[in-house]
Amino acid sequence: MKDQDESLYYVGDFPVPESPEPGQEPKPWGKTRVIGKPIPRVDAYERVSGAAVYTSDVTFSDILYGVVLGSPYANAKVRSIDVASALKMPGVHAILTGSTKGADLVWPYVWGKDKAKLFDPHCRYEGDLIAGVCAETPYQAWDSARAIKVDYEVLPFVSDERKALDPKSKAVEAPDKRVAKTEKYERGNLEKGFAEADIVLETEYRTECQIQTPIEPHGCVAKWDGDHLTLWHSTQGVFYIQQQVAEVLGIPLSKVRVIGRYMGGGFGSKLEAGKYTIVAALLAKMTGRPVKLLLSREETFLVTGNRPPSNMKLKAGVKKDGTLTALHFTVLGTGGAYESGGISLTDWLVRDLYTCPNVMCESTEVLINAGLTCPFRAPGHPQGAWALEQMMDSLSEKIGMDPVEFRLKNIPSFSQARQGNPPYTTTGLKECLEQGAKAFGWEEARKKTAQQDKDNPVRSGVGMGACLWFVGGGGPPSTIVLKLFADGSANLNMGASDLGTGTKTIMAMVVSEELGIKPDKIQVENADTGSTQFATRSGGSKTIPTESPAVRAAAIDVKRQLFQIAAEELKVPASNLALQNGEIIPNADQSKKVKLNKLEALKKRGVIIGIGYRGPNPEKKWVNPFAAQFCEVKVDTRTGEVRIVRFFAAHDSGRVMNRLTYDNQVIGGITMGIGLAMTEMRVLDHNETGKVVSRNWHDYKLPTALDVPWEIVSIAIDPNDTEANTTGAKGLGEPVTIPTAAAIANAVYNATGIRITNTPINPLQLSRLMAEHKTRR
Amino acid sequence: MLPNFSYIRVKSLQEAVEASQGGGTHILAGGTDLLGCLRDQIFSADQIVSITRLSALKGISQTSDGGLRIGALTTITEIAESPVIKQLFPGLARAASEVASPALRNRGTVGGNLCQKPRCWYYRGEFRCLRKGGDTCYALGGENQYHGIFGSDYKCCIVHPSDIAPMLMALGASVKVTGPRGSRNVPIENFFVLPKDDVRRETVLGSGEIVEEILVPKPPDGLRTSYRKVRVRLAWDFAVVGLALALVFKGDKVELGSMVLGGTAPIPWRSKSAEHVIIGHRLDAKISLKAAETSVKDAQPLEHNAYKVSLLRAIVEEELNKLAQG
Repeated sequence: MKDQDESLYYVGDFPVPESPEPGQEPKPWGKTRVIGKPIPRVDAYERVSGAAVYTSDVTFSDILYGVVLGSPYANAKVRSIDVASALKMPGVHAILTGSTKGADLVWPYVWGKDKAKLFDPHCRYEGDLIAGVCAETPYQAWDSARAIKVDYEVLPFVSDERKALDPKSKAVEAPDKRVAKTEKYERGNLEKGFAEADIVLETEYRTECQIQTPIEPHGCVAKWDGDHLTLWHSTQGVFYIQQQVAEVLGIPLSKVRVIGRYMGGGFGSKLEAGKYTIVAALLAKMTGRPVKLLLSREETFLVTGNRPPSNMKLKAGVKKDGTLTALHFTVLGTGGAYESGGISLTDWLVRDLYTCPNVMCESTEVLINAGLTCPFRAPGHPQGAWALEQMMDSLSEKIGMDPVEFRLKNIPSFSQARQGNPPYTTTGLKECLEQGAKAFGWEEARKKTAQQDKDNPVRSGVGMGACLWFVGGGGPPSTIVLKLFADGSANLNMGASDLGTGTKTIMAMVVSEELGIKPDKIQVENADTGSTQFATRSGGSKTIPTESPAVRAAAIDVKRQLFQIAAEELKVPASNLALQNGEIIPNADQSKKVKLNKLEALKKRGVIIGIGYRGPNPEKKWVNPFAAQFCEVKVDTRTGEVRIVRFFAAHDSGRVMNRLTYDNQVIGGITMGIGLAMTEMRVLDHNETGKVVSRNWHDYKLPTALDVPWEIVSIAIDPNDTEANTTGAKGLGEPVTIPTAAAIANAVYNATGIRITNTPINPLQLSRLMAEHKTRR
Repeated sequence: MLPNFSYIRVKSLQEAVEASQGGGTHILAGGTDLLGCLRDQIFSADQIVSITRLSALKGISQTSDGGLRIGALTTITEIAESPVIKQLFPGLARAASEVASPALRNRGTVGGNLCQKPRCWYYRGEFRCLRKGGDTCYALGGENQYHGIFGSDYKCCIVHPSDIAPMLMALGASVKVTGPRGSRNVPIENFFVLPKDDVRRETVLGSGEIVEEILVPKPPDGLRTSYRKVRVRLAWDFAVVGLALALVFKGDKVELGSMVLGGTAPIPWRSKSAEHVIIGHRLDAKISLKAAETSVKDAQPLEHNAYKVSLLRAIVEEELNKLAQG
């Protein structure tokens, strides 16, 4: 008997939630048994042991290795390409250029009315595609690519967006091709707002360009079977890659299968296919053999996206009582050589985070000869927060109000920037500020830093910042297929990718919560266009709020069918049945209970297939996550060395689905925010070449374990959001990195009295500012 | 990817010397720098001579006159953790402990550390710069935030990347070099080459010459050493500026002393003028400040690295004050 019991995969001694009537939304969970627990990842063993098959692990006996040759110039036209000797090199099977048959393809870069080409004869940024090579080994492919002779017409370049609008400087191409896009947002009356203010401040801020640089470089394996293409692709969304590849190659969606079950980080840089994807597919077609093409680390710094540099100016008016009267924000940004989101969402926090009746935001995106941007973990927001949250700090000082109190005074209950001012389903911003401040010991810490010994060259400071994330509520479509097998184990089939955030684990927990099955007895199959259902990309911190309600619905569908077949077998109405400990129990006569794996009907049919769809979001309401972060720093005022002592992060991301992955997101987001604030920046050679000089992990400095404080405390604020969706979860992955850099800058100001308006806060900048500060005093 | 080269793993130093004559040969010790250079095509190689099996070149021992002999293949970790180094020359142990990351310290050797190639991002990138046989230094007018403020002669403004070399120079160490014409001792002070003397070379090693060991003279009574490194992040980073101090105190007066700056010049940069300020004096706050001012007096900052002047001044003052206290 014991064996049989163990063969049943239930979690523990609790009844699973009741099923709603068909067509009805399930009620919000009350007390949860699995959801919210710190449960290790369901695929942890595979990931740690090396059993997980990542794109770079995919191999075939006849596999070839592909490489791409990129333009070495920031701006150049290709006159001619000579591949004759490169093709003759050992092991080389094929070389692909723009003149190869079938390679004259349109590439979806926006260039006015013109479309760019896959092999564009005008390479407007370093690394743009020149050729693809495949060979028996990656080394042979590299050697061959280097032997390709390209005749370039090297053109003047513009590498600094701050100079792009100067009529005397070079334009990316024609002199009128300087501005890619402008945006203006306005509400209220700015002039009136500033007239009403007691204090008006204006400051310029700048954040440097940050590169995602995930640990797993970008790449794919392409394999044709007849006219059917299979791609193993490191990506945040297999269905999006499928769509792009089908479109570029002009083949039906049914002929493209994309698989991306495991990935080693993306942070937005793997939302789209790259030119390399198509190169791999074409090389595989040319040779009739599978081709593996992984970009080198250096190439990923050139062509896979970035958080663009932002040049911001913020003018703000406030009354002495802490009422914000006007905000005027301008930003100049660049998406690189083509329009690509260089100003995207930079102004959103200014528009929507704090109550303010009079707001104007003006954004200009210019073109430069550099790699394109793409959404980088909370696009636009950390930059906007860098300006807004430092300005809030400055304003609070001017009016003599505590920065937390000042923010508490300006919390809106609705979205001011959206049409019709829709209310938020919940806003935990107040709780984030209050509970975060309390846990951090904010008031005492401020007192302590104010009273510290003036002669000590190492000074302490505390700072904070708040944020919202403009989406994070998820939404349809999503289709989940859940199979309950005759032994009580289950298979969860989901199209969405797990970026490494723990999506699979959390979805298994949702099934576990609803059906009582142990999470490790639930096999999650995901991110395969051939065997899972359509899902949108994992980005925008929307995967959990999008997928978890659909998974819940699928589990409920399974349960409903299970009760139906049990009802027939037990001759008891389905509405009188309960599921507990892997047993179906009739309410009226418990002696008739039957173990799930003893149900004859289930044994016979083998499986119950439940299907769940993501329902619509609440009408006329918005779902946003909110947060406040607090930190303490020590600054050596002699050298400008800054150490972060501790970080406290209070986040309202709705229901905590898994406390372990939740806290890990907080730690990761803060780490990335420390990178933006203190160590990371893309450096272009502005003087002679426009080339990227920081293209490896030595010159492009990610924070190391020693740069991140061991004391990072995550405070989860759960506002019990019953309207957002049926699980109450909101996005977390992006808000965790939004206010971090600004909080650090505010802490450094608190320590030193020096306002750091440009990233990164490192000894290069700070030692200079310290010296200037000393001279002024 | 890598150039085509032949590979020899030698059994004796003599064999290594014989194998290494002629151009295109490179010595493999820890390989942490060599492999990167080959992959990035900084230079080519016809032959790689691995000396990793030469156990005679490993380890730290005390010499009969009370100094130290450090074999060229001794790892950076061994130097950082050596009890005798910690006791006699804490500044040297400190400098070693600040190198790169644990993995690189476990693999990298002290001989390789002295012979490593510059980390200039133009030199390491796809730029045919002066040091690689081109006709221009891209850094002089370019992105020179991490470049030198001394000794470039406006030819090549690399900085020497080593943390250990400045400390060894401050300690008056020498390098025993073995080559086709036998062995010679080169004071570290004469081991490195300035751009004005030869912009293509970093050391005085001739063809076939190999660093065999490093000799550190006996510590004089009253020796105090320290190494201070400023960098952008706390691990896996080269010095933005570094400072190696070896001062001999008699009572509260500095009797002898040497001050070597790292991260500021193409070679470890000895600041004799600053040494003059402190030698023969009680090291009080005033003298420290004066020495700090003097150490940067001749600096020639470039467009983006003027911060190094104030940074250097700050750490010289700070470290001198610290050493004065014992």
